[in-house]
Amino acid sequence: MSFLQIVEGPLFIFAAAVFVLGALWRLIGIIRIGRKKDISPPKASAAAGFIRGNLRHFIPRGIFAKRTMVHIVGGYGFHLGLFALIFFGAYHIDFLNERILGVSWPAMPRWAFLMVSGVAFSGLIMLWVRRISDPVMRLISSKDDHIGSWLTFLVMLSGCFALEQAHDSLRATHMLLVDIWLVYFPFSRLMHGFTFVLSRGNSGATYGRKGIDL
Amino acid sequence: MQNQFHSLRNFLRLSVLMLMLAAFAAPVAAQSVRPPGNAVNLDDGIEEGPSNALGDLSDTEIWDNFRGGNPRDIFAPAPEGQVMTTTGQQWRMIREKFIRKYLGWAPLIVIGLLAVFYFAKGPMKISAGRSGKTIPRFTLSARVAHWFMAAVFIILGLSGMIILLGRVVIAPYFGLEFNSVLTSAAMQGHNLFGPVFIFALIWLFIKFIRGNFFQWVDLKWISKLGGFFGGHVSSGQFNFGEKSWFWMVIIVGSVISVTGVIMLFPGLVDDIRWLQLSTILHALGAVGLIAVAFGHIYVGTIGMEGSLDSMLKGEVDENWAKEHHDLWYEEMTGKSASETKAPEETP
Amino acid sequence: MSTITEIAVEKFLEHTDSEAASFFEACVNCGQCAEACHFHLATGDPRQTPIYKLRPMQRAYQRDKAPFSSLKKMLGLAPNPVTEAELKEWEPLVYDSCNMCGRCTLACPMGIDIAGTISKMREGYAAAGLVPEGLKSAAEYVKKTSSPMGVTIKALKAQISHQEKATGIKIEVDKKGADYMCTFSSMEIMGYPEVLGAYAKLFKRAGLSWTISSVAYEATNVGVQIGSAPMAKEILERVVDAAEALEVKYVISPECGHAYGAIRWAGPNLMGRQFKFEVVHIIEVLDKLRREGKIPAGKKDSRRMTLHDPCQIIRRGGLLREPRKLLDESCEDFVEMKSAGIANFCCGGGGGVSANPRANELKTKAFSLKVEQLNGVENLEAVVVPCGNCRAVFEDGLDEYEMDLEVLGLSELIADTLEEDDQKQG
Repeated sequence: MSFLQIVEGPLFIFAAAVFVLGALWRLIGIIRIGRKKDISPPKASAAAGFIRGNLRHFIPRGIFAKRTMVHIVGGYGFHLGLFALIFFGAYHIDFLNERILGVSWPAMPRWAFLMVSGVAFSGLIMLWVRRISDPVMRLISSKDDHIGSWLTFLVMLSGCFALEQAHDSLRATHMLLVDIWLVYFPFSRLMHGFTFVLSRGNSGATYGRKGIDL
Repeated sequence: MQNQFHSLRNFLRLSVLMLMLAAFAAPVAAQSVRPPGNAVNLDDGIEEGPSNALGDLSDTEIWDNFRGGNPRDIFAPAPEGQVMTTTGQQWRMIREKFIRKYLGWAPLIVIGLLAVFYFAKGPMKISAGRSGKTIPRFTLSARVAHWFMAAVFIILGLSGMIILLGRVVIAPYFGLEFNSVLTSAAMQGHNLFGPVFIFALIWLFIKFIRGNFFQWVDLKWISKLGGFFGGHVSSGQFNFGEKSWFWMVIIVGSVISVTGVIMLFPGLVDDIRWLQLSTILHALGAVGLIAVAFGHIYVGTIGMEGSLDSMLKGEVDENWAKEHHDLWYEEMTGKSASETKAPEETP
Repeated sequence: MSTITEIAVEKFLEHTDSEAASFFEACVNCGQCAEACHFHLATGDPRQTPIYKLRPMQRAYQRDKAPFSSLKKMLGLAPNPVTEAELKEWEPLVYDSCNMCGRCTLACPMGIDIAGTISKMREGYAAAGLVPEGLKSAAEYVKKTSSPMGVTIKALKAQISHQEKATGIKIEVDKKGADYMCTFSSMEIMGYPEVLGAYAKLFKRAGLSWTISSVAYEATNVGVQIGSAPMAKEILERVVDAAEALEVKYVISPECGHAYGAIRWAGPNLMGRQFKFEVVHIIEVLDKLRREGKIPAGKKDSRRMTLHDPCQIIRRGGLLREPRKLLDESCEDFVEMKSAGIANFCCGGGGGVSANPRANELKTKAFSLKVEQLNGVENLEAVVVPCGNCRAVFEDGLDEYEMDLEVLGLSELIADTLEEDDQKQG
C-alpha cells in the first residue's frame, strides 16, 4: 500500500470517524449540560428567536462594520471561499463522489476555482495578520487560535500545491494534512463551525421570548 | 519544392522522436508521476514513421532548417513564418548563464552584509531608553495591509525561488524527482498567489502613500547615511530609507505584477519576445525586492530596538519616535523632540 | 472550609448551563465585541474587551466541565486552574467594566450574550464575597430598608404628600383590590419625585385604579446587580408578596432599567413559580393607554429633544418602538441621535456600576461617547431618559463635561403634554 493509498484510505477513514464522532460527542455534551426551564411568561416564541438569531448574525451591523472592515471582508471572504472550495472544487467533488457520497454535482470552472482560492487565502491571511497586529486580539488569542489558523492554511496551501495533479506525493501531503485537520477539529476551536448554531440560537431564543426584534 | 519536402520529413522525424521519448518515459512516470492534467495529448494516431526516419540530414541541418535565417547568427531577427526564433536562444543564455548563475547570490550577499553590520555595530538601541509612554504610529488597517503583503510576499518569494533556482540548487543535491515535485507545487502556489499580490500591492499603496513623498529633509538623511554609522538624522513620518523602500515595492512590484500576468495569461501578448522579456524582468525585479526585503526585515526587527512595536501594536515608544522620526513626533504631539534633554539648560 | 477560589469556581461551573457553555465553545476570539463596548472605545484598553472579562469563568468551564475536559486533563492539555490572584485581578473587570448592556452581542458574529453570562459569573464572585464595597453597602441598606439608597417608607410618604399637594390628586397607599401596583426606583423617589405626580395625573385621566405598597415600593434589585440569586429572591419576594396580598392584577415596573428585567424575566425563575399578577413596564402601560385614547396628547412640547435608550428597557427589554411613538406624539421636534435604538450606547452606569464609587472615573470616561452622540445633534435642548439610574448618570456626566442640556423622564413629559380636560370638552 502506497503512502497515498494509506492517507486516502484507512487513515482518512479514521480521521473522518474521529471528526464525526468527536464533533457529535462535543455537541451533545454541550446540549446535555442542560439549562433551567425559563418560567417567566414569554412575549414571543423562543424557537422563532433561535432561528432568527442564527440568521440575523450572518449579516454584520453597519455601525460596527466600519471600524473593522478588514475583519469583516476577511471573514466573509475566507469562510465563503473555503465553503466553495470544499464543496465545489472539481477534485473535491470527485473525491466525495467516489469515496463517500456516491453522488456528483457540477463543479466550479477552473478560473472560478482559482479566483475563489485567492479570495479564501486572502481572507484567512487577513484574519491571521489582524490577530497578530491588533492589541485586542493579541491579548485574547490563544495557542489554539493560531494552530487552527495555520493548520487550515496548510491544508489549503497543500491543496493548491497539488493542483497540477501530477505528483502523488503532493496529493498525499494534502491528504495527510486533511487527516490531521479532521482529527484536530472536534477538540479545538475549529468546532465553532458547528457550535455557532447553538450560541447564536441560544441568545436568539433568550431575546426572542422577550419579544426583542434584533 | 525541395524545401517543403524537407520540412515535412523533418516534422515526421521529430514526431517519431517524441513518441519514442514518451514511450520510454511512460513506465518511469507511471510509478509516481502522471502527465499534467492539461498536458498535450501525444497519442495523435501516428503509429510509425517512414523507414528512413532519420533521412540524410545531420542534426545541425535539421535544426538550422527549423530556425531559418543565418544559423550562426543567434542575434538576427526571425524571418517571417519560421518555426523557431533565435531570440529563444538569447533568452535561454541570459537565463542560464546570468540569472540562474548569479542572481541567487544577491539575497545571500545582503544577509552577509547585515550579519557583518550586526556583529560589528550591534543593534541600534533607543539611546534614552524606553519612556514607557507610547504614541500611535500605524492604524490597525495599515498594519493588516502590511502583514498581508508580507505574508503573500513570503509565499511568492519562496515558491518563486524554487521555480527559478530549484534546478541548480535543489536538484543536484536532492535529485531531479524531488525537485520536480517541489517545482510543480511551487508553480501552482505561485500562480495562485500571484493575483493576490496585485491586490496586496494596491492595498499597500493606498494605506501607505501618505507620508511617503520625498522631501528636502531626505537629502540630509542621505548625506548622513541614515545615521547607521552614527550621528543624528531628522526625518518625518518616514525617513528616506523607508520612502525608497515604499517606492521600490510599488514600482518594482508593479513590474512584477504586469510581467506575472503576462506569463499567467500568455495569450495576452502576440510576440513571444514579450514573454521572454517578462520572465527576465520578473526574476530580476523579484530577486531585487527579496534582497532589499532582508534589509527591511533587519531594521524592523533585531536591527533597531522598538521598531517592531509599530507594526505589531501600532504604537511606538515616545523616545523611539524622538530619535528616529523627530519631525513626525513634533507634528504628532506638538512637543519638541529635544526638550527632554534640555531642562538643565534653563537658567 | 473552602477557599474563595473553590467557592467561586464551583459557582462558575454551577451557572455554566448549556447556554453559557455554547457561548464559551463558540467564541473564536475575534475581538469584534471590543468594538461595541463603550468601556473599550473610551479607554482603548484591550483588557476592556467584553469576552476577556469572562475569562476565569470560561477557563473554569474548559478545565472542569467542557466535553473532552477529562481527556485533555489526562493528556496535560487542560487550561490551568483559576487562581485567587486572578479572580481578584478580574473583579474590577466583572463589576466596574460591565454594565451588562448587551451591545457586544450585536457585534458578535456568534451572537454570544456576554452580558447575560457576566451576570452568571457575578454569582461566583458574590458567593465568594468578592464584591466591590459600593455594592456591598448598597446591599446593607437593602437589608435594613429594602432600598439601596436607604429610602424609608417615611420618606416616601413625605414625597407622596408633596405631590398630592402639587397636583391636587390623592395617591392611595396600600389600597387592596386596586388593578395596578406601582413600584419606583429609589432614585426616582428621592431625585425625581415629580414622577409620582405624573403617575397620579395620568392614571386619574385614564381612570385607572392603582396604588403603592408601603412595604414594597422599591423596584430596584441590588441582588441582581451583585449577582446574588438568594439576595435577589429575598428582595423580589417583598414585591411579589405585597402585590399578591393587595390582590392587584398588574405590577408596574418603573422607568428603571434592570428593575424591569429583574421582575419581568428573572423574577419567576428566582421565585420558582409564576406570579398571580402580570408585570408590565410603565412605557408599555402608557403606550397602551395612549392607543386606547385614554391619555390623548395635547399641546406638544416645543423643545428639540432626543431619546436615550436604556439598555435593559430597549435592547434587552424589547420596548424599542413604544417610547418613540409616545415621543413623536408629545414633542414637536423629536430627533434621533446617531446609532440610536437597539444599538445605542449605554450611559455607563448600569449593572450596578453607578452604585460603585470605585468605577466613577471609568464611568465618566465611558460617558464621553454619550456626549459625542449628543453633540452630534444640532441645537439639542433636552434629552428624554426613561430610566432613573441613567438619568442620574446623565446629570453627573453632563455636569462633568459642562454641557447644558435638560434631562427629562418620559412619564413626566407625557403627563405635562397631556390634553387638558377642558380642551377635551371644548
